[in-house]
Amino acid sequence: MSNPRRRPPADPMVRALIQQARGAAAARRASAGSAGLSRRQFLTVGAGVAGTAALLAACGTGGAPGASSSAAPSPAADVSDAEKLVRWANWTLYLDQNDAGTEYPTLNAFTKQTGIDVEYLEDIEDNDTFYGKVSGQLANGDDIGYDIVTPTDWMAGRMIRLGYAQELDLANIPNAANLVSTLRDVDYDEGRKHALTWQSGFGGLAWDKAKVPGGMQSLDDLWKPELAGKVEVLSEMHDTIGLIMLSQGVDPAGDWGDAEYDAAIELLREKITSGHIRQVKGNSYTQDLVSGDCWACIGWSGDITGLNYEADNRFDFVVPEAGGTLWSDEMLIPVGATHKKNAETLMNYYYEPEVAAQVAAWVNYVTPVDGAREVMEKSDPELAADTNIFPDDETLAKVHVFRTLTPAEETKYNGQYLEVIGA
Amino acid sequence: MRSPHTASLELWGVRKEFGSFTAVESLDLTVPEGSFFALLGPSGCGKTTTLRMVAGLEQPTSGVISIGGRDVTGTAAHRRPVNTVFQSYALFPHLTVLDNVAFGLKRKRVPDARAKARAGLETVQLAHLGDRRPNQLSGGQQQRVALARALVNSPSVLLLDEPLGALDLALRREMQLELKRIQADAGITFVHVTHDQEEAMTMADTVAVMNEGRVEQLGPPAELYELPSTAFVANFLGRSNLVTGSVVDVGEVLGVDVAGTRLRVPVGRVSAGSTGVGAVVQLGVRPEKVRIVANGSEPTSGSNVLGPGKVTDVSFTGVSTQYQVDLGDLGVHEVFAQNSSGAPEVRVGDAVRLAWDVDHTFGLAGEPARSGQ
Amino acid sequence: MTTVAPGPAIGVAAPGTGAPGTGAEDVAARRAGAAGVGLMLPGTLYLVAFFVIPVFALLATSLYVPVPGGDVGQFMPAFHWQNYVTALADFWQPLARSFWFALLATAGALAVGYPIAYLIAVRGRGRPLLQGMLLVLVVAPFFTSFVLRTIAWKQILADDGYVVQALHWLHVLPPDGRLTATSFAVVVSLTHNFVPFMALPIYASLERLDPRLVEAGGDLYAGPWTTFRTVTLPLSMPGVVSGTLLTFIPAAGDYVSASLLGNSTNTAMIGQVIDTRFFRLLDYPTAASLSVVLMAAIAVLVGLYVRRTGTEDLL
Repeated sequence: MSNPRRRPPADPMVRALIQQARGAAAARRASAGSAGLSRRQFLTVGAGVAGTAALLAACGTGGAPGASSSAAPSPAADVSDAEKLVRWANWTLYLDQNDAGTEYPTLNAFTKQTGIDVEYLEDIEDNDTFYGKVSGQLANGDDIGYDIVTPTDWMAGRMIRLGYAQELDLANIPNAANLVSTLRDVDYDEGRKHALTWQSGFGGLAWDKAKVPGGMQSLDDLWKPELAGKVEVLSEMHDTIGLIMLSQGVDPAGDWGDAEYDAAIELLREKITSGHIRQVKGNSYTQDLVSGDCWACIGWSGDITGLNYEADNRFDFVVPEAGGTLWSDEMLIPVGATHKKNAETLMNYYYEPEVAAQVAAWVNYVTPVDGAREVMEKSDPELAADTNIFPDDETLAKVHVFRTLTPAEETKYNGQYLEVIGA
Repeated sequence: MRSPHTASLELWGVRKEFGSFTAVESLDLTVPEGSFFALLGPSGCGKTTTLRMVAGLEQPTSGVISIGGRDVTGTAAHRRPVNTVFQSYALFPHLTVLDNVAFGLKRKRVPDARAKARAGLETVQLAHLGDRRPNQLSGGQQQRVALARALVNSPSVLLLDEPLGALDLALRREMQLELKRIQADAGITFVHVTHDQEEAMTMADTVAVMNEGRVEQLGPPAELYELPSTAFVANFLGRSNLVTGSVVDVGEVLGVDVAGTRLRVPVGRVSAGSTGVGAVVQLGVRPEKVRIVANGSEPTSGSNVLGPGKVTDVSFTGVSTQYQVDLGDLGVHEVFAQNSSGAPEVRVGDAVRLAWDVDHTFGLAGEPARSGQ
Repeated sequence: MTTVAPGPAIGVAAPGTGAPGTGAEDVAARRAGAAGVGLMLPGTLYLVAFFVIPVFALLATSLYVPVPGGDVGQFMPAFHWQNYVTALADFWQPLARSFWFALLATAGALAVGYPIAYLIAVRGRGRPLLQGMLLVLVVAPFFTSFVLRTIAWKQILADDGYVVQALHWLHVLPPDGRLTATSFAVVVSLTHNFVPFMALPIYASLERLDPRLVEAGGDLYAGPWTTFRTVTLPLSMPGVVSGTLLTFIPAAGDYVSASLLGNSTNTAMIGQVIDTRFFRLLDYPTAASLSVVLMAAIAVLVGLYVRRTGTEDLL
């Protein structure tokens, strides 16, 4: 689908303003008495009040003095051949581990097979927080210490839009052809030039089977009076609002606007102010499910599968009849990454169906790799039949990718959302 | 003006143990109303513990404490009609001098507490410093504030715990006289704890000498001095020359054989339990009562005489001269002679005899002299 | 900007203040001045690098405006004072709530911390082993992370937990009543997290308290309670003031307790708002102006408090 919303600051006046701002920042740094590399200046300023550096850098003034007028930073040189290393920032519990939780079997196999060492870091806690930490350096084109980062689709979209991701050399990733067809055409990375999906998941309804014996089919079940004060929704706007929109007959992937968004936010506001929704949570909603504070919620598919391993199938998850959200965490190579080719080799490795199946069996999210299901059918037919990991066509027909927002929309809608959830 | 509140203090069989250590052993004391009473003794003798029990800051292990005839043994400190001048003054650093003095009055809800406190400060001549904080005052000034803080409450008994210990000599002398004046004016019963025998004798009507948790002797200072009843008192309160012998003659005047020399002592001045023939007693005399009998002169009749011995030291102190005379087996004796005209000239190395009036001799139970001063 | 300005200024003043002495004295004084500069330098540089510059950056950022047509999080320098008006209009509630919660938490921490400190310092006097052990117990919560402790409270106060069950049974809580996701839970968590900050300075004050002053109070007709009120408490005020400041200031800016134990309607604290404006919305000017307002408000409140308690000299 075509996307007319991508808008680099082409307006000459704006560009001039940015230039001016950049110059002012440079002057300010120079007067602080610190000479030397721009990165060091950046650190000097940034180590004080948390995030001040990010303030300076992220507000578009972070370019190195004397940089070209082009908004996007240029990619770093690739030292992959000289240095057999790749550094990967991922979310927690998002890669197969051995039983002791000390080793990553597929990574070990990768290193054995290719001779490339992997520095695997569970450094992503939250899309926004992570972006806040690294955006200043990205704007400068600096190395942020990772060769692969794994943000969620909409954040990946922002990074690609701003030129913070390097273009993939698909010649190094022949297995990219294994990407499932549903994810080949996405609006956040048109033509799939910058990002490959790591895992996907559904936003849907989750509940404690003992507390909600009737089960749930639609979002309206969440608003039943007997659940008052026991319901939680996700602080991730795309999933919560996406599900509400779907329940109101709006496709979050479609061409909706303020009116549709406002209708969704009003419903949410009402449920929050009435106290029906107890809390709005990030990842920690699973703790509340376990503690019994939350009986039913908007949650993520893989979490529930994982919880059930430990809690004896206590919980259930369903994509509501009106539809659920489909999100993807995307592997991309940051602009300052110095091991691009190694990173691509790693992506290629994880797009082998056998490897993808091994990961899917552990992380329980939707695998984006064709052929993994066939591998799984041989090793674990039960898991292969789980539509939360290998969705069938019926499930896929129900899920929708939240459309990419323009910067203006992002600011406006997120602001409204945060206001309503009281954060 | 005599305080209407003043009262006598009585202790009956008061005993205090700290674990296995006995600080005070079965103490009986009577402090008459309006008297200036000193508890004198070396450190660790139990005098401060006794004072703290009277104040209510320690509970006796056994015994009864009564003030003005009222049993206060179980009464909490703040309900006892006593006040204490603490050794380190214990002035409240967060209050002004005036508020310190008014503290007790306010607690008792006395009307016009501040005016009375100001009057109290006037009696110690510190009215002009009422707005200062204690740490802005000198040691002597703090001492007076502590005194005023206790006195304004017109306690039945005022307890003073080494109140002058932190002051220099001149200030101490001045405060001794002032305390005495205040006590005489106020007529309050003072119980004054000190280890300074001179201070105790200067100030108190009655002195109780304490040692190892016991009262060794109690009485007016002059009586204690003239007629000590134990070797400890004889040595702690001033100095004494002591010799040991056995009784050979009984009667109004005892005859005592001391290493072959016959000394005499009036039987009324002997505090030993047994004075029969053969009883072992110690005889003593104060150094200033002893005369030096130089070679060639004779002691007057009615004197006890010891010697000859050798003069080992002569110290001139202005009003008197102090001699050390080595009497061999009888030890070194001291003689303080007034520097009045007619005193014999004696030099170190001279052989002399020592003589004193029989009536100045005192007798103690016959134990060897304990180490004292 | 001359970053070391305060240093030389003071160093130069030193020789100037002395009487014009001999040359040797002058040299000695100058050397002392140079040494003074040397000693001042690290602290001054530290302050400039980690306080002055960041505060200026914060002030500047608070006045930025969005780059027209720019992406999320792109701003440019301006003097847009309106940012403050908007921020205050939108977020005066969480701001006021932060101070209210911080006040409650400070009162709670004082109520819990003072008796603890008193017990250890006064009752435990002369028993150093016991005192040491009790102090370790007070500090022990520090050994686990702030976030973990807050999460632990979530478990303790959970609907199916013993506390809530017991309160239901006792009819203290209505059947549909709860403790998590309430302001109560937020305040309890804040209180708990700051009790050591309260107890330790008070302990230090009480430890220094001369026991004879307490005896003097008793001797001067003050009962135990009156002695506490008129002697012990006033003398421990420096500890109480430090403790309340050490609790109030961070509690007012805290966001972990509110975001983990709060709800969406009436528990949001300003720290949480700043955090989400900054990291989720990338609305740096709003986050910065709220930070400035928070800093200023705390500075004013603390100033008034210290003046009011009359403990400037005791601090």
